[in-house]
Amino acid sequence: MQPLANVTPLKPAARAGAIEVKNVGQVFKTRSQDVVALEDVSLEVKPGRFVVLVGPSGCGKSTLLMMMAGLRQQTAGTITISGAPIPQPDPDRVGVVFQEASLFPWLTAEDNVEFPLALRGVPKAERRAKAQDALKLVGLEGFGRRHPHELSGGMKQRVSIARGLVQDPPVLLMDEPFAALDEQTRMTMGDELLRIWAATGKTVVFVTHSLTEAVYLADEVIVMSARPGRIVDHLQVQLPRPRTYEMLSGDAFGSLRDRIWRHIRKSA
Amino acid sequence: MSARISARISARTLRYLIVIGLIALWELLPRSGLIAELFLPSLSSTLMAGWTDAGEYGHALAVTLYEVVVSMSFACGGGILLGAIVGSLPGPRVLIMPMVSSLYAVPLVILYPVFTVWLGIGSESKIAFASIYGFLPTMLATAAGIQTIDPQLLLAARSMGATLSQRLVRVIIPAAIPTVLSGLRVGGALVIVGVVVSEMLISSAGIGYLISRYRTILDSAHVFAGVLLVLFLAIGFNAIIRWIERKAAIWQTGTRGGQANDEIASGAMQPAT
Repeated sequence: MQPLANVTPLKPAARAGAIEVKNVGQVFKTRSQDVVALEDVSLEVKPGRFVVLVGPSGCGKSTLLMMMAGLRQQTAGTITISGAPIPQPDPDRVGVVFQEASLFPWLTAEDNVEFPLALRGVPKAERRAKAQDALKLVGLEGFGRRHPHELSGGMKQRVSIARGLVQDPPVLLMDEPFAALDEQTRMTMGDELLRIWAATGKTVVFVTHSLTEAVYLADEVIVMSARPGRIVDHLQVQLPRPRTYEMLSGDAFGSLRDRIWRHIRKSA
Repeated sequence: MSARISARISARTLRYLIVIGLIALWELLPRSGLIAELFLPSLSSTLMAGWTDAGEYGHALAVTLYEVVVSMSFACGGGILLGAIVGSLPGPRVLIMPMVSSLYAVPLVILYPVFTVWLGIGSESKIAFASIYGFLPTMLATAAGIQTIDPQLLLAARSMGATLSQRLVRVIIPAAIPTVLSGLRVGGALVIVGVVVSEMLISSAGIGYLISRYRTILDSAHVFAGVLLVLFLAIGFNAIIRWIERKAAIWQTGTRGGQANDEIASGAMQPAT
């Protein structure tokens, strides 16, 4: 494809998957007042890292994720993905996985995964092949012909992840993807996600309410305060990989979780 | 599982048995003299009346069918178009919805004499009346169908780079289909009601006209032959809608569309004359 003149060229491959958020703010204007959702948020995510955003409800962590996805524009500051700003969604650079109900119920699993490719007119055979690969990666080989209502909650989220990965973007943003799942499925899906992440080397930014999930999954946990959302802590999780269920009861795990909880209790 | 299937089968057989029983009663009660033939002519005499005047009924059916088909295309086409506009734009919604909702309580049949003054007693006045009659539920269902689309779906489509027209064609329309179809079901049924009722009131042709004319000369067998034809018309329409629903909305699990259907049906059945 011919590069457009007004598009900032991507920096070399070394920056692919890097995320830079600089002094970002978001103000929602309502009729009566301006609500400051985010204030002076800066963070840097290196390529291939697994970063989790946690914070009390309404701290703007989902808003921040939507801005990284190009689905919403910040009112102050800059965000770059792979070295270039993201004024609108760009599925080649960023895949997004939402909460449970974001699959199209009238399409089969494979048609759902092919959807972003179909939007850009990728030929049918190539589309199908890529969708099959993505479904295989998430462990759903052979389930492509089912409709979402014929799949369990965990399987639906696997399809969503496959859809987010099908264009092979370096960055995967996940907005509370497992929030609607039951505890056991949630644990399994966490392990599955770590397996997929290790296999693909994507940069992952993951929003959650669950502190256990945050520490279990992350390389780094970013803790945000209640409105106006600010970053109050940035923890490195040094636990070895692969993560195991036994770590949940260890001291290292517990102290990290306590540290996050103290921040959240203070600001809530 | 097997218990459920067997329960369904027996429910189905039971339904058939009830229909067969009613048909048998229809034949037997008048014949045995328990009900006078004037009030309920037996099935055989009803069929006989229809058969001997098949030409007359055939002509009436053609007129009624023509009026139903034209009204239905106006009601459904207009209803879907305006419903889509009202459902997707908040401006028209605020403007139109309160008007439409209060219009619902008005027995629209009072307008029919006005239409006959404007358009004469031919097909035109029936088509105008039935179109308006069937238009409202179709429009309301379409508007509801578009308004209740899960915003998550649109957000997901946008995150994958869908343009506005791609979102319309690939998300909004398929997501709205089940609700629109349930609106068509109610709207289409009201079109049939509208055509037949207007034919019965002031008219010179059509099944409604035949029913009304034979009633004034107390020829019950011919009245019931007309009633039977209208019944078949309604059943035929229902079968067509079911077929479309099966084709278009395989994915529908019955929760969303079903709810909308009930809601609209209970509202829409009020103004039926």
